[in-house]
Amino acid sequence: MNKKTLTLLFASAALTAAAGLPALSALHDAASGDTAAPLSAFAGSDDQQRPTMLAEDDHEDEGGGVSRAGSDDEEGECGDDDGNCGPAAAAPAPAGSVPPPQNGLFDNSTAPKVQVK
Amino acid sequence: MMKSLLAALALTTALSLPTAAMARPVTLSAKLKDYGGNNAYLALYVTDKNNNYAGTLWLAGSRTRYFEHLAGWYNATGGDTSQINGITGASVGSGRTLEVTLDLKDALFDQGYTLHIDAAAENMRDSPNDVVAPLTAAGAGTPVKGRRYISSFHYSM
Repeated sequence: MNKKTLTLLFASAALTAAAGLPALSALHDAASGDTAAPLSAFAGSDDQQRPTMLAEDDHEDEGGGVSRAGSDDEEGECGDDDGNCGPAAAAPAPAGSVPPPQNGLFDNSTAPKVQVK
Repeated sequence: MMKSLLAALALTTALSLPTAAMARPVTLSAKLKDYGGNNAYLALYVTDKNNNYAGTLWLAGSRTRYFEHLAGWYNATGGDTSQINGITGASVGSGRTLEVTLDLKDALFDQGYTLHIDAAAENMRDSPNDVVAPLTAAGAGTPVKGRRYISSFHYSM
């Protein structure tokens, strides 16, 4: 075996190790239950940065009624079919998170109290 | 010395009384019918004696895409969420009761103001002006019947 063959063997072994170790690591993570690990390459390692995937908005309004009213009030608006995520589509701030508007109807120094019975 | 102290006390009392009397806690209570559908969106808003929109008191439901179904409120506001920041909560289930307590200005009562409630629920008909209730001191505690989703509404103070 000459020097050239040894160099080739060494190079191919190094390439295999370089490609194989990350894959092995991903497999290990998946087996341990951390299924989000492969997504981190696309959405960052922080959970807060992962894209939210909605699979609920594929039906149309019917008969002048609300479609999907109230089933998940806390979601954002970027899952809209029209893709409108601009300021106009921003969800309103819930009571208690900001002072009520100064519309002259009430004393907005006191937060409203609400309950659903 | 005593005289000036009494005068100062009288002055501060006189100044604080009108402030205390300008607003009072008012509880708005809307009981929904058992209409059998999903949660309802409700917009509670006020018009003046000329039927012009005066402002919103509460909006139950937070997804802006559905606000257009609250037709009376939406036509008046264009769905402007800046008008409902801080006065928004979850939508209300069938058969349940929404109770909101706000410090309402005294000037709203007996001055020709009217409270409206628009209602809408998933895949059911929209109901603008489901409740229309003139705001009067004498009307406190008197139930007002709703048209479609709201069984009865009253305010107490």
